[in-house]
Amino acid sequence: MMAALVQVEDISKTYAGVRALDSVSFDVRAGEWIAIMGPSGSGKTTLINILGGLDKPTSGRAMVDGVNVGTLGERELTRYRAEKVGFVFQHFYLVPYLSALENVMLAQYFHSVADEAEAAEALTRVGLGDRLDHLPSELSGGEQQRVALARALINHPKLILADEPTGNLDEANELIVLELLRELHRSGHTILLVTHSPEIGRMADRRIELAHGRLMHIVANVN
Amino acid sequence: MFWRILWRLLYASRARLALAVLAVASGAAVCTALLNLDLDATDKLTREFRVLGANIVVSAPQNGDAAPTMDAVNIERIQQLHLQEVAGVAPYLYLSAEAQAGENDAPVIVAGTWLDEVARMNSWWKVDGNWVRDRDNRNDCMIGEAAAAKLGLVPGKIVKIRYGGREASLTVSGIATAGSSEDSQIFIGLPLAQELGVQKSQVSLIQISANGSAPEIEDVIHRLSIALPGLEIQPLHQLAQAEGRLLERIRGLLFGTVLLILVLTSLGVLAAMAGLALERRRDVGLMKALGGSVRRIMRLFLAEATAIGFAGGIFGFIVGMALSGWIGERVFSVSTTPRLIVLPATLALMVLVSLAGALPLRLLGRVRPSDILRGE
Repeated sequence: MMAALVQVEDISKTYAGVRALDSVSFDVRAGEWIAIMGPSGSGKTTLINILGGLDKPTSGRAMVDGVNVGTLGERELTRYRAEKVGFVFQHFYLVPYLSALENVMLAQYFHSVADEAEAAEALTRVGLGDRLDHLPSELSGGEQQRVALARALINHPKLILADEPTGNLDEANELIVLELLRELHRSGHTILLVTHSPEIGRMADRRIELAHGRLMHIVANVN
Repeated sequence: MFWRILWRLLYASRARLALAVLAVASGAAVCTALLNLDLDATDKLTREFRVLGANIVVSAPQNGDAAPTMDAVNIERIQQLHLQEVAGVAPYLYLSAEAQAGENDAPVIVAGTWLDEVARMNSWWKVDGNWVRDRDNRNDCMIGEAAAAKLGLVPGKIVKIRYGGREASLTVSGIATAGSSEDSQIFIGLPLAQELGVQKSQVSLIQISANGSAPEIEDVIHRLSIALPGLEIQPLHQLAQAEGRLLERIRGLLFGTVLLILVLTSLGVLAAMAGLALERRRDVGLMKALGGSVRRIMRLFLAEATAIGFAGGIFGFIVGMALSGWIGERVFSVSTTPRLIVLPATLALMVLVSLAGALPLRLLGRVRPSDILRGE
Protein backbone atom coordinates (compact mmCIF):
# COMPACT_ATOMS: atom_id res chain seq x y z
CA MET A 1 0.00 0.00 0.00
CA MET A 2 1.44 3.32 -1.12
CA ALA A 3 1.73 6.19 1.43
CA ALA A 4 -0.83 9.00 1.20
CA LEU A 5 0.44 11.99 -0.75
CA VAL A 6 -2.56 14.07 0.27
CA GLN A 7 -4.27 13.90 3.64
CA VAL A 8 -7.34 16.04 4.11
CA GLU A 9 -8.38 15.97 7.76
CA ASP A 10 -11.65 17.48 8.89
CA ILE A 11 -11.31 20.55 6.69
CA SER A 12 -13.87 23.34 6.87
CA LYS A 13 -13.91 26.66 5.02
CA THR A 14 -16.30 29.51 5.73
CA TYR A 15 -16.74 32.57 3.48
CA ALA A 16 -18.64 35.44 5.12
CA GLY A 17 -20.73 33.07 7.21
CA VAL A 18 -21.31 30.59 4.36
CA ARG A 19 -19.79 27.15 4.88
CA ALA A 20 -18.14 26.23 1.58
CA LEU A 21 -16.53 23.09 3.04
CA ASP A 22 -17.80 21.27 6.07
CA SER A 23 -15.57 18.73 7.87
CA VAL A 24 -14.20 17.02 4.78
CA SER A 25 -11.64 14.23 5.22
CA PHE A 26 -9.98 11.88 2.73
CA ASP A 27 -6.57 10.62 1.60
CA VAL A 28 -5.00 10.42 -1.84
CA ARG A 29 -2.20 8.00 -2.55
CA ALA A 30 0.70 8.94 -4.78
CA GLY A 31 -0.08 8.10 -8.42
CA GLU A 32 -3.83 8.12 -7.87
CA TRP A 33 -6.32 9.91 -10.11
CA ILE A 34 -9.16 11.35 -8.08
CA ALA A 35 -12.24 12.94 -9.60
CA ILE A 36 -13.95 15.52 -7.39
CA MET A 37 -17.57 15.79 -8.33
CA GLY A 38 -20.68 17.55 -7.21
CA PRO A 39 -23.11 20.27 -8.20
CA SER A 40 -22.15 23.95 -8.45
CA GLY A 41 -21.45 25.47 -5.04
CA SER A 42 -20.62 22.12 -3.49
CA GLY A 43 -17.09 23.22 -2.54
CA LYS A 44 -15.06 21.48 -5.29
CA THR A 45 -13.03 24.51 -6.32
CA THR A 46 -12.59 25.59 -2.69
CA LEU A 47 -11.08 22.20 -1.93
CA ILE A 48 -8.74 22.41 -4.94
CA ASN A 49 -7.73 25.96 -3.96
CA ILE A 50 -6.88 24.88 -0.41
CA LEU A 51 -4.80 21.95 -1.64
CA GLY A 52 -3.10 24.29 -4.16
CA GLY A 53 -2.18 26.83 -1.50
CA LEU A 54 -4.41 29.50 -3.01
CA ASP A 55 -6.73 29.55 -0.01
CA LYS A 56 -6.51 28.56 3.65
CA PRO A 57 -8.94 26.33 5.54
CA THR A 58 -10.89 27.84 8.40
CA SER A 59 -10.20 24.65 10.37
CA GLY A 60 -8.71 21.21 9.80
CA ARG A 61 -5.47 20.11 8.15
CA ALA A 62 -4.53 19.74 4.49
CA MET A 63 -1.26 17.79 4.25
CA VAL A 64 0.40 17.51 0.85
CA ASP A 65 3.67 15.59 0.63
CA GLY A 66 4.10 16.03 4.37
CA VAL A 67 3.46 19.79 4.31
CA ASN A 68 0.55 21.30 6.24
CA VAL A 69 -0.52 23.78 3.56
CA GLY A 70 -2.81 25.78 5.83
CA THR A 71 -0.01 26.83 8.15
CA LEU A 72 2.42 28.10 5.50
CA GLY A 73 3.36 31.78 5.40
CA GLU A 74 3.12 33.85 2.21
CA ARG A 75 6.70 33.20 1.13
CA GLU A 76 6.48 29.45 1.83
CA LEU A 77 3.15 29.26 0.01
CA THR A 78 4.77 30.84 -3.05
CA ARG A 79 7.51 28.18 -3.02
CA TYR A 80 4.90 25.46 -2.38
CA ARG A 81 2.86 26.55 -5.41
CA ALA A 82 5.96 26.71 -7.59
CA GLU A 83 7.39 23.34 -6.51
CA LYS A 84 4.65 20.99 -5.35
CA VAL A 85 1.58 21.63 -7.50
CA GLY A 86 0.67 22.15 -11.12
CA PHE A 87 -2.62 23.91 -11.92
CA VAL A 88 -4.88 23.40 -14.92
CA PHE A 89 -7.91 25.72 -15.00
CA GLN A 90 -11.17 25.61 -16.88
CA HIS A 91 -10.46 29.02 -18.45
CA PHE A 92 -6.84 28.06 -19.29
CA TYR A 93 -5.46 31.24 -17.71
CA LEU A 94 -2.53 31.77 -20.02
CA VAL A 95 -0.73 35.12 -20.00
CA PRO A 96 -2.11 36.68 -23.19
CA TYR A 97 1.00 38.58 -24.26
CA LEU A 98 3.37 35.64 -23.85
CA SER A 99 3.76 32.95 -26.52
CA ALA A 100 2.93 29.30 -25.81
CA LEU A 101 6.61 28.65 -25.19
CA GLU A 102 6.96 31.68 -22.90
CA ASN A 103 3.88 30.69 -20.90
CA VAL A 104 5.57 27.40 -20.08
CA MET A 105 8.89 29.12 -19.42
CA LEU A 106 7.14 31.50 -17.02
CA ALA A 107 6.39 28.61 -14.67
CA GLN A 108 10.05 27.54 -14.94
CA TYR A 109 11.15 31.11 -14.23
CA PHE A 110 9.07 31.26 -11.03
CA HIS A 111 10.31 27.80 -10.02
CA SER A 112 14.01 28.30 -10.68
CA VAL A 113 15.53 28.95 -14.11
CA ALA A 114 13.79 29.09 -17.48
CA ASP A 115 14.99 26.43 -19.92
CA GLU A 116 13.74 27.09 -23.44
CA ALA A 117 14.68 23.65 -24.82
CA GLU A 118 12.88 21.83 -22.00
CA ALA A 119 9.80 24.04 -22.38
CA ALA A 120 9.75 23.39 -26.15
CA GLU A 121 10.02 19.65 -25.49
CA ALA A 122 7.09 19.78 -23.05
CA LEU A 123 4.96 21.51 -25.67
CA THR A 124 6.04 19.00 -28.30
CA ARG A 125 4.90 16.20 -25.97
CA VAL A 126 1.39 17.70 -25.90
CA GLY A 127 1.41 18.02 -29.68
CA LEU A 128 2.20 21.72 -29.95
CA GLY A 129 5.74 21.55 -31.32
CA ASP A 130 4.66 23.67 -34.27
CA ARG A 131 2.86 26.27 -32.14
CA LEU A 132 5.68 27.39 -29.85
CA ASP A 133 5.65 31.04 -30.85
CA HIS A 134 1.91 31.44 -31.11
CA LEU A 135 0.15 33.77 -28.70
CA PRO A 136 -2.83 32.30 -26.78
CA SER A 137 -5.17 34.33 -28.99
CA GLU A 138 -3.75 32.46 -31.99
CA LEU A 139 -4.48 29.04 -30.47
CA SER A 140 -7.74 27.08 -30.24
CA GLY A 141 -9.26 26.33 -26.84
CA GLY A 142 -7.91 22.78 -26.91
CA GLU A 143 -4.44 24.01 -27.83
CA GLN A 144 -4.53 26.59 -25.04
CA GLN A 145 -5.47 23.88 -22.55
CA ARG A 146 -2.60 21.72 -23.78
CA VAL A 147 -0.25 24.66 -23.20
CA ALA A 148 -1.68 24.91 -19.68
CA LEU A 149 -1.04 21.17 -19.19
CA ALA A 150 2.56 21.54 -20.38
CA ARG A 151 2.95 24.48 -18.01
CA ALA A 152 1.50 22.49 -15.10
CA LEU A 153 3.93 19.63 -15.71
CA ILE A 154 7.10 21.53 -16.50
CA ASN A 155 8.35 21.71 -12.90
CA HIS A 156 7.56 18.02 -12.21
CA PRO A 157 5.01 18.74 -9.46
CA LYS A 158 3.94 16.12 -6.92
CA LEU A 159 0.28 16.94 -7.48
CA ILE A 160 -1.70 18.07 -10.52
CA LEU A 161 -4.85 20.03 -9.66
CA ALA A 162 -7.22 20.35 -12.60
CA ASP A 163 -10.39 22.40 -12.17
CA GLU A 164 -12.80 21.34 -14.93
CA PRO A 165 -10.04 21.27 -17.54
CA THR A 166 -12.40 20.21 -20.30
CA GLY A 167 -15.27 22.48 -19.28
CA ASN A 168 -14.58 24.94 -22.08
CA LEU A 169 -13.60 22.49 -24.80
CA ASP A 170 -15.43 20.90 -27.69
CA GLU A 171 -15.67 17.13 -27.85
CA ALA A 172 -12.60 16.63 -30.06
CA ASN A 173 -10.38 18.77 -27.86
CA GLU A 174 -11.86 17.21 -24.72
CA LEU A 175 -10.74 13.80 -25.94
CA ILE A 176 -7.23 15.06 -26.64
CA VAL A 177 -6.90 16.62 -23.17
CA LEU A 178 -8.35 13.55 -21.45
CA GLU A 179 -5.94 11.32 -23.34
CA LEU A 180 -3.08 13.49 -22.11
CA LEU A 181 -4.38 13.20 -18.55
CA ARG A 182 -4.58 9.41 -18.95
CA GLU A 183 -0.96 9.37 -20.10
CA LEU A 184 0.03 11.43 -17.08
CA HIS A 185 -1.76 9.05 -14.81
CA ARG A 186 -0.12 6.04 -16.48
CA SER A 187 3.27 7.65 -15.98
CA GLY A 188 2.61 7.89 -12.22
CA HIS A 189 1.35 11.46 -11.73
CA THR A 190 -1.12 12.18 -8.93
CA ILE A 191 -4.14 14.02 -10.29
CA LEU A 192 -7.06 15.69 -8.53
CA LEU A 193 -9.57 16.67 -11.17
CA VAL A 194 -12.79 18.62 -10.63
CA THR A 195 -15.50 17.69 -13.09
CA HIS A 196 -19.23 17.71 -13.59
CA SER A 197 -19.01 14.97 -16.16
CA PRO A 198 -19.88 11.40 -14.96
CA GLU A 199 -17.93 9.95 -17.93
CA ILE A 200 -14.75 11.77 -16.89
CA GLY A 201 -15.44 10.86 -13.28
CA ARG A 202 -15.48 7.20 -14.20
CA MET A 203 -12.04 7.47 -15.82
CA ALA A 204 -10.49 8.27 -12.40
CA ASP A 205 -9.41 5.69 -9.82
CA ARG A 206 -11.85 7.10 -7.28
CA ARG A 207 -14.63 9.67 -7.19
CA ILE A 208 -15.13 12.02 -4.28
CA GLU A 209 -18.62 13.42 -4.30
CA LEU A 210 -19.41 16.66 -2.50
CA ALA A 211 -22.72 18.37 -1.81
CA HIS A 212 -23.22 21.62 0.15
CA GLY A 213 -19.61 21.43 1.26
CA ARG A 214 -19.95 17.98 2.75
CA LEU A 215 -18.30 14.78 1.59
CA MET A 216 -21.13 12.52 0.49
CA HIS A 217 -19.37 9.50 -1.02
CA ILE A 218 -16.00 8.20 -1.99
CA VAL A 219 -16.48 5.72 -4.82
CA ALA A 220 -13.77 3.48 -6.20
CA ASN A 221 -14.04 2.95 -9.99
CA VAL A 222 -13.35 -0.35 -11.58
CA ASN A 223 -11.42 0.53 -14.78
CA MET B 1 13.48 35.39 -19.02
CA PHE B 2 13.06 38.58 -17.00
CA TRP B 3 13.95 40.78 -19.99
CA ARG B 4 11.87 38.62 -22.30
CA ILE B 5 8.76 39.07 -20.16
CA LEU B 6 9.54 42.76 -19.71
CA TRP B 7 9.77 43.25 -23.46
CA ARG B 8 6.48 41.39 -23.96
CA LEU B 9 4.85 43.52 -21.26
CA LEU B 10 6.06 46.72 -22.89
CA TYR B 11 5.05 45.59 -26.37
CA ALA B 12 1.63 44.31 -25.31
CA SER B 13 0.75 47.54 -23.49
CA ARG B 14 2.40 49.87 -25.98
CA ALA B 15 -0.65 52.09 -26.50
CA ARG B 16 -1.17 52.76 -22.80
CA LEU B 17 2.54 52.98 -22.15
CA ALA B 18 2.94 55.44 -25.02
CA LEU B 19 0.57 57.71 -23.10
CA ALA B 20 2.67 57.32 -19.97
CA VAL B 21 5.88 57.98 -21.94
CA LEU B 22 4.24 61.05 -23.45
CA ALA B 23 3.30 62.33 -19.99
CA VAL B 24 6.84 61.71 -18.74
CA ALA B 25 8.39 63.24 -21.88
CA SER B 26 6.27 66.39 -21.45
CA GLY B 27 7.34 66.68 -17.84
CA ALA B 28 10.94 65.90 -18.72
CA ALA B 29 10.95 68.55 -21.46
CA VAL B 30 9.80 71.29 -19.11
CA CYS B 31 12.08 70.11 -16.29
CA THR B 32 15.07 69.92 -18.64
CA ALA B 33 14.34 73.38 -19.99
CA LEU B 34 14.00 74.91 -16.55
CA LEU B 35 16.96 73.11 -15.01
CA ASN B 36 19.11 74.10 -17.96
CA LEU B 37 17.90 77.67 -17.64
CA ASP B 38 18.71 77.60 -13.95
CA LEU B 39 22.22 76.32 -14.58
CA ASP B 40 23.01 78.28 -17.70
CA ALA B 41 20.77 81.29 -18.04
CA THR B 42 21.00 82.53 -14.46
CA ASP B 43 24.76 82.38 -14.82
CA LYS B 44 24.47 84.41 -17.98
CA LEU B 45 21.95 86.73 -16.37
CA THR B 46 24.46 87.60 -13.65
CA ARG B 47 26.78 88.62 -16.46
CA GLU B 48 23.97 90.50 -18.13
CA PHE B 49 23.43 92.37 -14.89
CA ARG B 50 26.94 93.66 -15.20
CA VAL B 51 25.77 96.07 -17.93
CA LEU B 52 24.06 97.80 -15.04
CA GLY B 53 27.48 99.05 -13.97
CA ALA B 54 29.93 98.41 -11.17
CA ASN B 55 28.97 96.61 -8.00
CA ILE B 56 32.21 97.08 -5.99
CA VAL B 57 33.99 100.34 -5.20
CA VAL B 58 37.59 100.64 -3.98
CA SER B 59 38.39 103.99 -2.37
CA ALA B 60 40.99 105.62 -0.17
CA PRO B 61 39.92 106.28 3.42
CA GLN B 62 38.80 109.84 4.30
CA ASN B 63 41.74 111.88 5.52
CA GLY B 64 40.82 115.40 6.71
CA ASP B 65 38.89 117.74 4.41
CA ALA B 66 40.85 117.00 1.23
CA ALA B 67 39.27 114.61 -1.27
CA PRO B 68 41.08 111.32 -0.67
CA THR B 69 43.02 109.77 -3.53
CA MET B 70 45.08 106.63 -3.95
CA ASP B 71 47.96 105.57 -6.15
CA ALA B 72 46.93 104.28 -9.56
CA VAL B 73 49.23 101.30 -9.01
CA ASN B 74 46.29 99.76 -7.15
CA ILE B 75 44.59 99.21 -10.50
CA GLU B 76 47.45 96.99 -11.56
CA ARG B 77 47.29 95.15 -8.24
CA ILE B 78 43.64 94.37 -8.88
CA GLN B 79 44.33 93.21 -12.41
CA GLN B 80 47.25 91.06 -11.28
CA LEU B 81 44.88 89.11 -9.00
CA HIS B 82 43.28 87.70 -12.20
CA LEU B 83 39.99 87.25 -10.40
CA GLN B 84 37.70 85.17 -12.57
CA GLU B 85 34.60 87.03 -11.39
CA VAL B 86 35.92 90.50 -12.29
CA ALA B 87 34.41 91.58 -15.58
CA GLY B 88 35.54 95.20 -15.65
CA VAL B 89 37.70 97.75 -13.78
CA ALA B 90 37.43 101.55 -14.18
CA PRO B 91 39.46 104.08 -12.18
CA TYR B 92 38.01 107.54 -11.54
CA LEU B 93 39.69 110.83 -10.61
CA TYR B 94 37.13 113.49 -9.69
CA LEU B 95 37.84 117.21 -10.08
CA SER B 96 35.53 119.99 -9.00
CA ALA B 97 36.01 122.18 -12.08
CA GLU B 98 34.44 125.02 -14.09
CA ALA B 99 32.95 124.31 -17.49
CA GLN B 100 32.22 126.84 -20.23
CA ALA B 101 30.37 126.42 -23.48
CA GLY B 102 29.89 129.61 -25.50
CA GLU B 103 28.16 132.09 -23.20
CA ASN B 104 27.30 129.47 -20.56
CA ASP B 105 29.50 128.47 -17.71
CA ALA B 106 28.83 126.36 -14.62
CA PRO B 107 30.64 124.43 -11.91
CA VAL B 108 30.75 120.69 -12.75
CA ILE B 109 32.27 117.50 -11.48
CA VAL B 110 34.79 116.25 -14.01
CA ALA B 111 35.40 112.50 -13.90
CA GLY B 112 38.69 111.39 -15.40
CA THR B 113 38.39 107.73 -16.28
CA TRP B 114 39.07 104.95 -18.75
CA LEU B 115 36.43 105.99 -21.23
CA ASP B 116 36.45 102.62 -23.05
CA GLU B 117 35.77 100.76 -19.79
CA VAL B 118 33.01 103.19 -18.81
CA ALA B 119 31.35 102.48 -22.15
CA ARG B 120 31.69 98.73 -21.61
CA MET B 121 30.53 98.67 -17.98
CA ASN B 122 27.62 101.06 -18.48
CA SER B 123 26.27 99.93 -21.79
CA TRP B 124 22.73 100.46 -20.49
CA TRP B 125 23.23 104.27 -20.42
CA LYS B 126 21.25 106.07 -23.02
CA VAL B 127 23.67 108.00 -25.22
CA ASP B 128 22.85 110.76 -27.66
CA GLY B 129 25.83 110.85 -30.03
CA ASN B 130 28.71 108.41 -29.57
CA TRP B 131 30.64 106.82 -26.76
CA VAL B 132 34.34 107.67 -26.56
CA ARG B 133 36.03 104.31 -26.82
CA ASP B 134 39.67 105.42 -26.83
CA ARG B 135 41.10 105.13 -23.32
CA ASP B 136 43.75 107.90 -23.71
CA ASN B 137 41.65 110.29 -25.79
CA ARG B 138 42.51 113.92 -24.95
CA ASN B 139 40.20 115.67 -27.43
CA ASP B 140 36.70 114.28 -26.73
CA CYS B 141 34.47 113.89 -23.76
CA MET B 142 31.12 112.45 -22.66
CA ILE B 143 28.79 114.72 -20.77
CA GLY B 144 25.85 113.90 -18.52
CA GLU B 145 22.40 115.00 -19.63
CA ALA B 146 21.86 117.55 -16.82
CA ALA B 147 25.29 119.14 -17.30
CA ALA B 148 24.74 119.32 -21.05
CA ALA B 149 21.38 121.05 -20.54
CA LYS B 150 22.90 123.57 -18.13
CA LEU B 151 25.68 124.40 -20.58
CA GLY B 152 23.50 124.18 -23.69
CA LEU B 153 25.67 121.46 -25.21
CA VAL B 154 24.87 119.01 -27.99
CA PRO B 155 27.16 116.40 -29.55
CA GLY B 156 29.88 118.00 -31.66
CA LYS B 157 30.03 121.24 -29.60
CA ILE B 158 33.14 122.36 -27.73
CA VAL B 159 33.32 122.57 -23.94
CA LYS B 160 36.15 124.22 -22.02
CA ILE B 161 37.14 122.81 -18.64
CA ARG B 162 39.12 124.85 -16.17
CA TYR B 163 40.76 123.56 -13.01
CA GLY B 164 43.42 125.22 -10.89
CA GLY B 165 44.33 127.68 -13.65
CA ARG B 166 44.72 124.93 -16.23
CA GLU B 167 42.34 124.51 -19.14
CA ALA B 168 41.34 121.87 -21.67
CA SER B 169 39.09 122.27 -24.68
CA LEU B 170 37.11 119.15 -25.65
CA THR B 171 34.52 118.14 -28.24
CA VAL B 172 31.32 116.60 -26.86
CA SER B 173 31.12 113.11 -28.37
CA GLY B 174 27.95 111.95 -26.62
CA ILE B 175 25.39 113.04 -24.06
CA ALA B 176 24.70 110.29 -21.52
CA THR B 177 21.57 109.69 -19.50
CA ALA B 178 22.19 107.40 -16.51
CA GLY B 179 19.39 108.57 -14.22
CA SER B 180 21.86 109.19 -11.42
CA SER B 181 24.60 111.60 -10.29
CA GLU B 182 26.55 110.82 -13.49
CA ASP B 183 24.04 112.99 -15.37
CA SER B 184 25.72 116.10 -13.84
CA GLN B 185 29.27 115.04 -14.66
CA ILE B 186 31.67 115.41 -17.57
CA PHE B 187 33.72 112.31 -18.44
CA ILE B 188 37.20 112.83 -19.81
CA GLY B 189 40.26 110.60 -20.26
CA LEU B 190 42.11 109.75 -17.02
CA PRO B 191 45.56 111.06 -18.19
CA LEU B 192 44.05 114.44 -19.07
CA ALA B 193 42.26 114.69 -15.72
CA GLN B 194 45.50 113.81 -13.90
CA GLU B 195 47.28 116.60 -15.83
CA LEU B 196 44.56 119.15 -15.03
CA GLY B 197 44.54 118.18 -11.37
CA VAL B 198 48.32 117.82 -11.18
CA GLN B 199 47.68 114.47 -9.61
CA LYS B 200 49.83 112.20 -11.72
CA SER B 201 49.34 108.52 -10.89
CA GLN B 202 46.44 109.32 -8.53
CA VAL B 203 42.83 108.22 -8.69
CA SER B 204 39.86 108.97 -6.40
CA LEU B 205 38.32 105.51 -6.58
CA ILE B 206 38.19 102.34 -8.63
CA GLN B 207 34.89 100.84 -9.72
CA ILE B 208 34.78 97.09 -10.27
CA SER B 209 32.17 95.06 -12.07
CA ALA B 210 32.11 91.49 -10.78
CA ASN B 211 29.96 88.49 -11.79
CA GLY B 212 28.37 86.13 -9.35
CA SER B 213 25.90 85.66 -6.58
CA ALA B 214 25.95 87.71 -3.37
CA PRO B 215 28.25 85.22 -1.55
CA GLU B 216 30.60 85.17 -4.54
CA ILE B 217 30.77 88.97 -4.57
CA GLU B 218 31.48 88.91 -0.84
CA ASP B 219 34.33 86.52 -1.56
CA VAL B 220 35.75 88.86 -4.23
CA ILE B 221 35.61 91.74 -1.74
CA HIS B 222 37.40 89.61 0.84
CA ARG B 223 40.20 88.78 -1.59
CA LEU B 224 40.52 92.42 -2.67
CA SER B 225 40.74 93.48 0.98
CA ILE B 226 43.72 91.18 1.45
CA ALA B 227 45.44 92.41 -1.73
CA LEU B 228 44.74 96.11 -1.08
CA PRO B 229 45.43 96.79 2.60
CA GLY B 230 44.53 100.25 3.80
CA LEU B 231 41.86 100.81 1.15
CA GLU B 232 38.11 100.70 1.61
CA ILE B 233 36.35 98.09 -0.48
CA GLN B 234 32.58 98.34 -0.48
CA PRO B 235 29.83 96.57 -2.36
CA LEU B 236 27.22 98.72 -4.06
CA HIS B 237 24.57 97.17 -1.83
CA GLN B 238 21.45 98.46 -3.49
CA LEU B 239 22.36 97.00 -6.87
CA ALA B 240 23.85 93.78 -5.55
CA GLN B 241 20.83 93.08 -3.37
CA ALA B 242 18.38 93.86 -6.16
CA GLU B 243 20.25 91.47 -8.46
CA GLY B 244 20.36 88.82 -5.75
CA ARG B 245 16.66 89.15 -5.05
CA LEU B 246 15.77 88.94 -8.72
CA LEU B 247 17.93 85.88 -9.26
CA GLU B 248 16.53 84.22 -6.15
CA ARG B 249 13.02 84.87 -7.39
CA ILE B 250 13.83 83.49 -10.82
CA ARG B 251 15.37 80.38 -9.22
CA GLY B 252 12.39 80.02 -6.87
CA LEU B 253 10.03 80.27 -9.82
CA LEU B 254 12.03 77.70 -11.79
CA PHE B 255 12.20 75.20 -8.95
CA GLY B 256 8.56 75.74 -8.02
CA THR B 257 7.56 75.06 -11.61
CA VAL B 258 9.78 71.95 -11.76
CA LEU B 259 8.13 70.64 -8.60
CA LEU B 260 4.66 71.28 -9.96
CA ILE B 261 5.55 69.60 -13.25
CA LEU B 262 6.88 66.56 -11.40
CA VAL B 263 3.62 66.24 -9.47
CA LEU B 264 1.54 66.64 -12.65
CA THR B 265 3.72 64.13 -14.49
CA SER B 266 3.26 61.63 -11.66
CA LEU B 267 -0.49 62.10 -11.93
CA GLY B 268 -0.33 61.59 -15.70
CA VAL B 269 1.62 58.36 -15.26
CA LEU B 270 -0.74 57.35 -12.44
CA ALA B 271 -3.76 57.76 -14.71
CA ALA B 272 -2.17 55.65 -17.46
CA MET B 273 -1.04 53.01 -14.98
CA ALA B 274 -4.41 52.78 -13.22
CA GLY B 275 -5.97 51.44 -16.43
CA LEU B 276 -3.06 49.11 -16.93
CA ALA B 277 -3.34 47.80 -13.37
CA LEU B 278 -6.96 46.80 -13.97
CA GLU B 279 -5.94 44.92 -17.10
CA ARG B 280 -3.11 43.17 -15.28
CA ARG B 281 -5.02 41.98 -12.19
CA ARG B 282 -5.75 38.64 -13.77
CA ASP B 283 -2.15 38.16 -14.94
CA VAL B 284 -0.80 38.95 -11.48
CA GLY B 285 -3.24 36.55 -9.83
CA LEU B 286 -2.22 33.86 -12.29
CA MET B 287 1.51 34.54 -11.82
CA LYS B 288 1.08 34.24 -8.06
CA ALA B 289 -0.84 30.98 -8.52
CA LEU B 290 2.06 29.66 -10.60
CA GLY B 291 4.46 30.38 -7.75
CA GLY B 292 5.58 33.87 -8.69
CA SER B 293 6.68 35.80 -5.62
CA VAL B 294 5.35 39.32 -5.12
CA ARG B 295 8.93 40.62 -5.26
CA ARG B 296 9.61 38.95 -8.58
CA ILE B 297 6.35 40.13 -10.14
CA MET B 298 6.74 43.67 -8.82
CA ARG B 299 10.31 43.80 -10.13
CA LEU B 300 8.86 43.36 -13.61
CA PHE B 301 6.43 46.24 -13.16
CA LEU B 302 9.01 48.51 -11.57
CA ALA B 303 11.40 47.75 -14.43
CA GLU B 304 8.60 48.69 -16.77
CA ALA B 305 8.08 51.99 -14.92
CA THR B 306 11.84 52.61 -15.02
CA ALA B 307 11.85 52.01 -18.77
CA ILE B 308 9.01 54.52 -19.13
CA GLY B 309 10.98 57.04 -17.06
CA PHE B 310 14.08 56.49 -19.18
CA ALA B 311 12.34 56.67 -22.53
CA GLY B 312 10.31 59.71 -21.57
CA GLY B 313 13.33 61.30 -19.92
CA ILE B 314 15.56 60.99 -22.97
CA PHE B 315 12.88 62.13 -25.39
CA GLY B 316 11.94 65.00 -23.07
CA PHE B 317 15.59 65.98 -22.62
CA ILE B 318 16.00 66.52 -26.36
CA VAL B 319 12.81 68.56 -26.62
CA GLY B 320 13.62 70.36 -23.35
CA MET B 321 16.99 71.57 -24.57
CA ALA B 322 15.32 73.14 -27.60
CA LEU B 323 12.70 74.64 -25.28
CA SER B 324 15.42 75.97 -22.99
CA GLY B 325 17.03 77.78 -25.93
CA TRP B 326 13.69 79.26 -26.93
CA ILE B 327 12.77 80.42 -23.39
CA GLY B 328 16.27 81.83 -22.90
CA GLU B 329 15.99 83.90 -26.06
CA ARG B 330 12.37 84.96 -25.71
CA VAL B 331 12.05 85.52 -21.97
CA PHE B 332 15.53 86.33 -20.70
CA SER B 333 17.12 87.49 -23.96
CA VAL B 334 20.14 85.30 -23.40
CA SER B 335 21.32 82.38 -25.46
CA THR B 336 21.59 79.15 -23.47
CA THR B 337 24.11 76.36 -23.83
CA PRO B 338 22.89 72.78 -23.28
CA ARG B 339 24.36 71.48 -20.01
CA LEU B 340 24.81 67.70 -20.14
CA ILE B 341 24.63 67.46 -16.35
CA VAL B 342 20.89 68.11 -16.78
CA LEU B 343 20.50 64.71 -18.53
CA PRO B 344 21.24 62.47 -15.51
CA ALA B 345 19.23 64.83 -13.29
CA THR B 346 16.25 64.68 -15.65
CA LEU B 347 16.50 60.90 -16.03
CA ALA B 348 16.71 60.39 -12.28
CA LEU B 349 13.71 62.66 -11.69
CA MET B 350 11.66 61.00 -14.42
CA VAL B 351 12.43 57.48 -13.18
CA LEU B 352 11.38 58.56 -9.68
CA VAL B 353 8.23 60.16 -11.03
CA SER B 354 7.41 57.04 -13.07
CA LEU B 355 7.96 54.80 -10.06
CA ALA B 356 5.70 57.07 -8.00
CA GLY B 357 3.11 57.03 -10.77
CA ALA B 358 3.30 53.24 -10.93
CA LEU B 359 1.58 53.01 -7.53
CA PRO B 360 -1.49 51.21 -8.98
CA LEU B 361 0.82 48.51 -10.35
CA ARG B 362 2.55 48.19 -6.99
CA LEU B 363 -0.83 47.67 -5.34
CA LEU B 364 -1.31 44.63 -7.58
CA GLY B 365 1.02 42.81 -5.19
CA ARG B 366 -1.98 42.51 -2.86
CA VAL B 367 -4.09 40.62 -5.40
CA ARG B 368 -5.21 37.23 -4.05
CA PRO B 369 -4.91 34.56 -6.75
CA SER B 370 -7.95 32.68 -5.47
CA ASP B 371 -10.11 35.81 -5.98
CA ILE B 372 -8.88 36.18 -9.54
CA LEU B 373 -9.30 32.50 -10.40
CA ARG B 374 -12.85 32.61 -8.99
CA GLY B 375 -13.47 35.38 -11.51
CA GLU B 376 -13.79 38.28 -9.04
